[in-house]
Parts: sequence; C-alpha cells; structure tokens
Amino acid sequence: MSEHKQIGLKAFKHNLKSALKSFAGSYLRGGKPTSDRTRSSAIFNNFFLHIQGVKTHINTLRPGYTLGLGLLSFFLLLATTISGVLLMVYYNPSIENAYNSVKDINYVVFAGKLIRNVHKWAGEGMIILVLLHMARVFYTSSYKQGRQFNWVIGLALLVITFGINLSGYMLPWDQLSYWALVIVANIIQSPKEITDSLGLTGFFDLGGFSKELFLGGLTAGKESLTRVYLLHIMLFPILMFIFLGVHFWRIRKDGGLTKPEVFEPKAMDAALTTPPEKKGGLFPLNKTYGLMELAKGKTPAVDRDVENTVLSWPNLLWAEAALFVFCLAGVIVYSYFIDAPLKELANPLIPENPAKAPWYFLGLQELLSYSAFMGGVGLPGLALLGLALIPYLDREEQHVGLWFSNRQGKLIALESIAVSAAVIIGLLAFVINFGWFRSWWPNVPQLLITLINPGNIWVGFMILWSMFVIKRTGSTRMGAIALFTMFLVSYLIYTYVGTELRGPNWDFFWSRSAWPVH
Amino acid sequence: MIKKSDFKAALILIISVIFLLSLQAASKAEAKQTGEVKDNPGKKIYEERCLVCHGRKGDGKGPASLMKRSEKSGRILEIKPRDFTLGAFRFRSTPTGCLPTEADLILLVDKGIPRSFMPPHKDQLTKEQKKAVVEYVKTFSTRWKEEEPCKPVVVRKPKWVGSKSSVEKGKKLYKDMKCWECHGDTGKGDGPKADLQKDDWGNKILAFDFTTGATKMGSDPENVYTAYTTGLDGAGMPSYEDSMSEADRWHLVSYTLKLMGKVK
Amino acid sequence: MRNRFFTWILFLSGGVLLIFTLLAAYRELTPEWEKYQAQYKEQIIKAAKDDAAKKKARQLKQEVQQLYLGALNRIDRCTSCHIGVENPRMASAKLPLKQHSGAYLKNHPPDKFGCSVCHYGQGRAVNKKEAHGLGHETHWDFPVMPLKYIQSSCTQCHDYETLTAKGYDTIAKGAKLFTEKGCRGCHKLDGIGGALGKKLDIVGSQPIAYFPMRHVEGEKTTYNWHKQHFTNPRALVPESEMKISVKPEETDLLATYVLSLRSGEMPKAYRKIKGRMAVGKPDEGEALYKMFCIACHTDGKESYYDEIFNHTIPSIKNPAFLKAAEDKYLKKVLEEGRAGTQMTSWKLAAGGLGESEINKLITYITKERPSSKPERFNVARFKPDEKRGGELYKVRCALCHGKKGEGELGVNLRNPVVQGADPEFLAITIRDGRAETPMPPFGKKGLSLTEQDLADLVSFVRTLSKTK
Repeated sequence: MSEHKQIGLKAFKHNLKSALKSFAGSYLRGGKPTSDRTRSSAIFNNFFLHIQGVKTHINTLRPGYTLGLGLLSFFLLLATTISGVLLMVYYNPSIENAYNSVKDINYVVFAGKLIRNVHKWAGEGMIILVLLHMARVFYTSSYKQGRQFNWVIGLALLVITFGINLSGYMLPWDQLSYWALVIVANIIQSPKEITDSLGLTGFFDLGGFSKELFLGGLTAGKESLTRVYLLHIMLFPILMFIFLGVHFWRIRKDGGLTKPEVFEPKAMDAALTTPPEKKGGLFPLNKTYGLMELAKGKTPAVDRDVENTVLSWPNLLWAEAALFVFCLAGVIVYSYFIDAPLKELANPLIPENPAKAPWYFLGLQELLSYSAFMGGVGLPGLALLGLALIPYLDREEQHVGLWFSNRQGKLIALESIAVSAAVIIGLLAFVINFGWFRSWWPNVPQLLITLINPGNIWVGFMILWSMFVIKRTGSTRMGAIALFTMFLVSYLIYTYVGTELRGPNWDFFWSRSAWPVH
Repeated sequence: MIKKSDFKAALILIISVIFLLSLQAASKAEAKQTGEVKDNPGKKIYEERCLVCHGRKGDGKGPASLMKRSEKSGRILEIKPRDFTLGAFRFRSTPTGCLPTEADLILLVDKGIPRSFMPPHKDQLTKEQKKAVVEYVKTFSTRWKEEEPCKPVVVRKPKWVGSKSSVEKGKKLYKDMKCWECHGDTGKGDGPKADLQKDDWGNKILAFDFTTGATKMGSDPENVYTAYTTGLDGAGMPSYEDSMSEADRWHLVSYTLKLMGKVK
Repeated sequence: MRNRFFTWILFLSGGVLLIFTLLAAYRELTPEWEKYQAQYKEQIIKAAKDDAAKKKARQLKQEVQQLYLGALNRIDRCTSCHIGVENPRMASAKLPLKQHSGAYLKNHPPDKFGCSVCHYGQGRAVNKKEAHGLGHETHWDFPVMPLKYIQSSCTQCHDYETLTAKGYDTIAKGAKLFTEKGCRGCHKLDGIGGALGKKLDIVGSQPIAYFPMRHVEGEKTTYNWHKQHFTNPRALVPESEMKISVKPEETDLLATYVLSLRSGEMPKAYRKIKGRMAVGKPDEGEALYKMFCIACHTDGKESYYDEIFNHTIPSIKNPAFLKAAEDKYLKKVLEEGRAGTQMTSWKLAAGGLGESEINKLITYITKERPSSKPERFNVARFKPDEKRGGELYKVRCALCHGKKGEGELGVNLRNPVVQGADPEFLAITIRDGRAETPMPPFGKKGLSLTEQDLADLVSFVRTLSKTK
C-alpha cells in the first residue's frame, strides 16, 4: 500500500514540475514540430492556421513582391478591433455624453489616450494600406487566373473600410464629427439633384428617403449618432469579418498568391526561408491531404509543382509574425507622438468653414463641389463599377506575377501618370480661375451641370484614354494599367487639393497660411 | 410877400422831388442790380448755391455755417466754411504763399472736399458756370487784384514710393521733422501740440487724423506729396518744399500711406 | 537556418515596440498632477505638528481628485493639481497648491459647486494646459476667466443688491453702465431694444467661433474680445457702426456684465434668486432715454454728421425743433423710426416699447420746449408746382439733403415719417430753419425764397419717397 502512495506522490510531483511543458505539448496536437510532417500538421490541424497552405511558394515570401500590404492591412484591422473593444468600455453613444466620454478616455482612463490614438491611426492607416494593397494586386495582375472574384470581394472590403472609418469619425460628436455627418447626409441626398431636374422628386424622393434613413430623422441629431454607432461597432465589422473570411478562403482556393510563370529562386531567398528537409517537397505525387471532398476544378493543393515552395511552418508564420510586430511598432510609435484630433463640442449653430469630410473623402468632396450627384454617387459608383469590371474586361493571361507585366507596362504606367497629372491639373486650373457654367450663365439648368462638369470630363477622359491605349497597344492589360494608374493619380491629386488647397467656402488657396483668419 | 399857401406848395414840391429822386435811385439801383446779375452770372450761382454756407460777403458766415462732424474715434470737429476774404486756400498746386490757379479752384468746385461739407458740383454746373462762379469768388479778396497765381509745382512720383525701405526712411523723417508734435506718434492727430493749433482766421483747427484712411486733398500719393510741397495755407500746415528735399518728401509720403493703412 | 530577413524585422520592430510601450507606460504613470501632489504631501508632512499627524500625512494617497457634480452636469478635476485649495495651512503656499483666497469656499464648498461653474476652464482635463483651456489647440471655448471678470459668474445665483451689499459691486456697476450708456438702443436683450446690433441674450455663453477674432490682441478669448470691442469696436469689426464712449476702466465693468449674460439656468437648489438676473425696463423718462437713446443722441443738444453712421444724427432736444414739432409727430418718429437711417422703430412689435413708455420719453425730451409756437404758414393758401419745387430742390437742397433726399449733412427726407408729416411742419422748418443746426432759414431775407417757393418745395419733398 505504501508503494502505491509513493508512486502516486512521486508521479504528482513529477507531473507538477512538468505541467507547463505538457500544457504546451497538449496545445499543439503533434507536439512541437520537429519534422516536416509535424510542421505540416501544425498548420492543417490548427483552427486558425489551416486557412493557410501547408506549403508556401517562395515568391509569396519575397518582400519586394507583396510588400506585405495585405497582411499589414489585416494586422491594422486587428489593432483597430482590439483597441476599439477597449474604447467601448468607456465610450457612451448618446449626444449628451459622447464627447465627455471621449474626453474622459483621454484624460483619466489609463493609457486611454494612447488606445484612442491607436484606434484612430490604425483605422485610417488601413485605408492607405488597403489602397496600396489594391494597387499591388492590380500591378502584379493578381486578379487573373481564377482570382477575379476575390478582386471583387476586395472591392467590397474597400467600401466597408471606408464606411467603417467614416462611421467612426462621427462618434466623438465634436465639430469635426457633426459637420462631417451633415456633409455625408447631404451627399446621400444627392440623387435629389437628378430627381429634381427631372421633376420626379414628388413621386420618388430617393435622395430624401436615403438621407432620412441614414440620419434617423430630418436633421443630424441623437438618432443619427445611434445609427452611426450601430454601423461602426456592429454592421460594418460583421460584414468586414465575413468578407475577410471569404477573401482569405478564396486566396487558398485560388491557389495562393500569384507568381511569375518562370520563377528562379535567387540567392536572397535563402535569407527569407528555411527549405524543407527533402528536396522535391513532401508530396512528390499525391497532393491531397485526404478526408477531403472531391470537387471539380483544381485540387486544393498549394501548387501543382512543389518546387520553389517551402513549408509554411515556420517560414510563412515567421514572416507574418515579423510583419505583425512591425505593424504594431509602427502604430505605437505614431500613436505615441501624434494625438487623434478632438475639437470643440458639436455646435449646430456654428458651421465649420470649410466643413470638410475626413481626408480620405476629400477627393470626393472636390468632385462634389462640381456636382452633388456626380461627386457623391455618380462618379464613385462609376469608379467602383469600373474597378470591379477590370478582371472581366482584361482576360489576358500573360505576365501574371510580374510587376507592371513587362517593360511596356512600366512605360504605359509612367505615361499615364504624366497624362493624367497634366489633364487633372489643367482642369483644376481652369475651374479655379474661370469657374464653371453657373459662373458665366447664372440661370443654366442644373441637369446640364450634372451632365457636363469637370468631374465627368475627367472620368470620361480616363475611359477614352484607356480605350485609346488598348487600341494603340493591342492589349487590354495595357489599357487596364492606364486606367488604374490614372485612377490612382486622380485619387491622390484630388485628395491633396481637397485637403490642402481648399479653404473657407471651398475657395482656392495656395496654402493653409493664406486662409483668411476668422 | 410869402404866403402860407406858397409855403405849402413849396413843401409839396420838395417832397415830390425827393420822392421822385429816390424812386429813380431805387430803380437805378435795381437796374444796377439786375444789370449786375445780367452781367454777372457767377454772382447768381453764388447766391443760389454758395451763399448759404460761405455768406454774402464770402466770409464763411452764411446761415448754414454751424456744422459739426463726429469722427470714428468719437472726436467732434466743428467744420467752418472757407472765408474767402483772406485769399488763403489750402488745396492748391502752387507753392506756399501763392494763390491757387483757376484750375485748382475749378477742381475744388468739381470734387468738393471729401470729409468736409463742401459738396461736389461736378454734374450740376457747366464749365462756363463754374468759371463764372470762381471769378466771382475771386472778388471777395483783394489779393487777386494784387497778385498773379504762381506756376504749379512739379509732381514726379518715383517708383519706390510705398516700398518698405521708403516707409522706413519716411518714419525717421516723421520723427526728425517733428510731424508727431501735431499729428501724433500714430498719426491720429493727437500730438502734444495738436491742441494749440489755430488757423489763419483765429479758429482752433485739428491736426489731421491719418488713420481715417483718407486725406482731404485726395488719397493718391501725388496728392499727399502736393500737400507736403505746397503746404495747406491758412490751416497751420506749413510747406516743406524748402526744408526737405524732393526725395525726402516722397519718403514721407510713403510713411503717410502706411499710417493711412494703404500700404503694409 | 532561420529566415534572416524576417528575423531582423521581427527583433528590431519588437525592440521598438517594447521601448515605446515602456515609454508610454512611463508617461501614463507620471502625470503632471502627481508632481504637485508630491510637493503638497511633502509640505503637509513638514507642517505636521506631531507624530500622529505626521503618520497620517505620510499615508496621503496620490491620485486623481475628482469632484462629481451631478446637479450641475459637470466633473471638475481641478483639485488634482490645486490640491491645497481647501487647506488653511496652504494659505501662503505657491500656486497651484495655494489655498483659495477669501472665504468663498465656506459658502461654496467644492464638493457641491466644483470650480468651473465660476472660474470656467476645462474641468475634466488633468493637465494644466488643457485644464486652463488657453490657446487655440486646446479647442476649449471657455478658458479660465481672468479674475477681474469673475463676478460675471455670481449672477447665476445671486442678485445685484446682495452682491453689492457684500462689497462685490463690479457686476452691479457694469449693469448700471449698461442701462445708462444706451446699449439697448441697438442691442436687444430679453426681446427689447434696437435691431442694429446683435442680440445679447446669451452672449456670455457664445463660443469663440461666434466672434470675429482676427484682430484681437493677445490671447484670442471671448474675454479679450469683449474688452477690446468695448474699447474700440472698429478695431475688431471694421464695418461696425457701434457708438460707445466709455473710460478704460469702464470697459472692464461692461465686459463683466456682458459675460454674465449666459444661457441655461442653475438648478433651483443653487439659485438664490428667481429666474435669471435681468436689468428690466425702466419706468421713467430720463432712465428710458439713458437706456435707449443716449448712445447715438448723447445729450440731444447738438446735431452732427456722424462718420460711423454716414448720416447726420439730429439734435432731438433742440428747442427750435421742439418748438416746431408736435407731440403727435414725435410719437410717430419714435414708433416708426426713420426707415433708411439708423433710427430704429420702437413700437412694441419692433423695439419693444409700449405706449406709456414712449409717452414718458416724449415728456422727457420735450421738457425744455419753448412755450411759444411758431407762426403758422398755412400751406393750403398756395397751389403748389411740384416741378418747380424739384428745380429749386436741385439747386438749394440737394447738396445737403442728397439728390434723392437720402440725407448727408442734412437729414434723410425720404423716410415715411417725414413723408407723412404735416406739410405745415415741413413748411415752417424750411421757412424758419433749425437754429443751432446747419439748416438755414430759407424764408428769411438773404436766402430769399418766396412763400410760393416754399410751398412748391414742400410739395416736391413729399414726392421724394417715390423716386428710386
């Protein structure tokens, strides 16, 4: 009997000492991976990780190929979500308390100011990174070879990113929030410009209805804050994560990231990767992992040829970890030094002049100054439609996985930058110096301005020029490069104009210091 | 022998003669007057339009001559219509001590004097009428008979008037030439000697407040320069033609423009 | 072999992340107020009289101090730095530890009143710059108020008499100036007053963006704005027509008063007065004159051309004027005002003066009216020739009264009150002139207008409102 006790107690002591190690061991169902087989199962047996392939192509790991933009966007989303949940502990979404609750977060919540800064800068940083990611995907032709639908999903994510940022901007209920809300509500109402010109508003006031739906009333007030809060913490995040899930799923199903047809591992790749144990990969013939449903189409394998792939564990994960810490570090440093703005309490009697939307919408606001409908609904809608159509209008399958496709592509891109900059600046100079229709003929009908204004002229030019490039080069891809480059340039220039060169009354000033002081 | 009835008759005769004579004198006077008016359209215009302020004898004591003006700073000025009898005029193009030219006077009638109660008559009188009334005004002072108006001063505006360096030089001149004694350090007309100024008619006159942004002679640099060169005769503002060089006077003009708020 | 590239990124970023996290933690753990509370603790320990007191002093916790004022809907954290505000031992300490001056806190205990309800400032902040709220970047409309205006807060609860009786008479003096300098002649307060200036009802609560701050000297606060505006309105608002003549020390009194005109009402439990403190409407002629008329008409004895208004302000107590004008006419002028000039309409629906008040004003203005009436002209005798009157007007009258009667040195003749006046009044005025003003007697010899001329002129003058 004492022997039993001895064994029992000894075992207990031993178990206690090795509890931590065995816990770690229990977490990873294969134990710490020590062989290629266990490294594979670490990936595909894990709930979170198995959305990634067991093997990753070396091209995917090259920083110069993806610049890590997609992952950075995702990590920023994580930072924003976590900081957002923390902020929700203290933020109060009623117009009586919202502003004061944000002030209290800044002043008395431990690290409140930092967390709020992280939330703001990670959120707005996401817009920049998401746009850059879209550019990378475009320029590497990564919307081809079955990835067309994922491109469209990405566009949906772009819209949700803008929406979630905008709805968050309105929550502190300060002067910036309130007047941004008023502007956005008026943009939403802009279909009224069309129905008014056609005399339809009496029957079908789409603009007015949408505005009322958004504001929860006829004017911006407490109902609006509730709705915007709902959008920001619930509707948009849910949509974001659903679409993101689909987005990641499609990456796997479409065969991972694109790579060039001809791929040679270079010396530098050695610095990025740990090659698998056996040359030729783990599965020389068989690519399935078993227990999978048979489906038509490509097999769900990382790639048909297993050359030039490395195990995701640890290569991909190490890269992701590095990127994650890099992202966090960047966000923390920025948030440490620069505070998220908070102006005076919202005052419906004192409009900001100029009342500006957040910076990422200022390009749109510039177009809005030409025509409410076109700038608010028409042209953005057209832009999104155009972007969505790119993969379907350009179905050439060459040069996938190569930045700018080839030398011609690079030249077309440069040419497009020059042409678009010239035309946009020319249009701007004209409008700023001479005005537009209503400055010359005060009674000109609104419909004419809606149809013919600098925004429409620009978009029309973009389309025509791209068609011209297609004709000239005989390639839809070149046309797409031209169109997309011009889109980027116009987004940049119009955003810059709206941010820096437009002052009170949306008048033109060469710099902020020239703004008339109130 | 002289009878009582004769005495009566003589008395009647004398009285009638006197009566007739005075009648004739009166009609002659009237004839003279209408004759004067006929011969003197300037007088008619003067009596209709100018007499009410400037008085029948051109001495500035017309029935409407009590005029007050409140400046933006709250200071109340009493504006007196010009007394022509001394023959001293402020706004001329001729050097100090000289009479104004006919063109000067016609200009005054045309433009009036801003910030005073002399209204412009540009559209209301023809050229001949203006000439006529100016001629009539000249009759109020004997100076016009004794002197001829001098030649107008030459006004040549250099390019650098109003520039920063010129303003700086002007500022120094303003200090050195003691303009501030009357016009004040900020040009408000509140200098230490401002209160003591009297014009040639013995009335108190206020030093000008440049910060109102205008001057009576006209607010162009050329007008200001003319004022400094010709002096405002009769008003206590001396001429600086002899005491400052032409360039210096233009520098002072630059500084004046700054006080008026017309240059930075 | 590890992935060198990503390893470098990972550890470098990790280092940066760690450093900045630590820096941020350090920053959070060493707030500004802690420094002051540490100083306070030290001084308390030093001043402790015995060991027991010393022990208690050592146990002082250093944490954010917060006054939660539910009834006032405020949170004040000022005492986080101003930790010694209630401690008599801190009477001679340096700011921010110094005790509050005077005995105010006895009747206004901080846990019931807080600080910002009197002193303004941003109560929720815990660093000096944002708590005091000075500077554009703090985005706070009501920085800590200069002490010379502090009495503007007292009237949220107290009335002028009680305050004056206790020696706090700045605000009462300011209110008195307001009633005696004719401010309401242009500014409405409680619905009564002229319409040339802005309404004053909640001017003390208006944010900085409400005022044109461009030309304000020094800090761009509403306090400085008011003081400088009273000193010279056109320095801040170049196109302003505000007429004010007060001494420099009076501008502070007026600023205090104007800053006391706030929106909202203190909860009943706090207020010692019913409703809001108001200057009310006087009941007597001279007081009415001082409240509404004096700013433009001063003593009413002189008429002068005003460069701010670009109109002549007539002398309303001029004996010659009073002699010629009947009370009926004066009443019309007061009730309707003179459209086209700065003279406001004062009837109940406009300026807010009732009939009895207008009558009292008329009684006051006509106090020194000469007993003799002017000689009747009897306009009806003549058949007027409007055209001829127009010719005469052009030569004789236009240069003072303007080509269309809009008024220059002479008064505006187009307004309905003059147009609707008794022709007899007009004729007498033209005939006799207006003594002590530039209006000459055109009927007297020297200016030699005949009586027919006068009748023609009167008939022409009465058509002026019809010319555009």
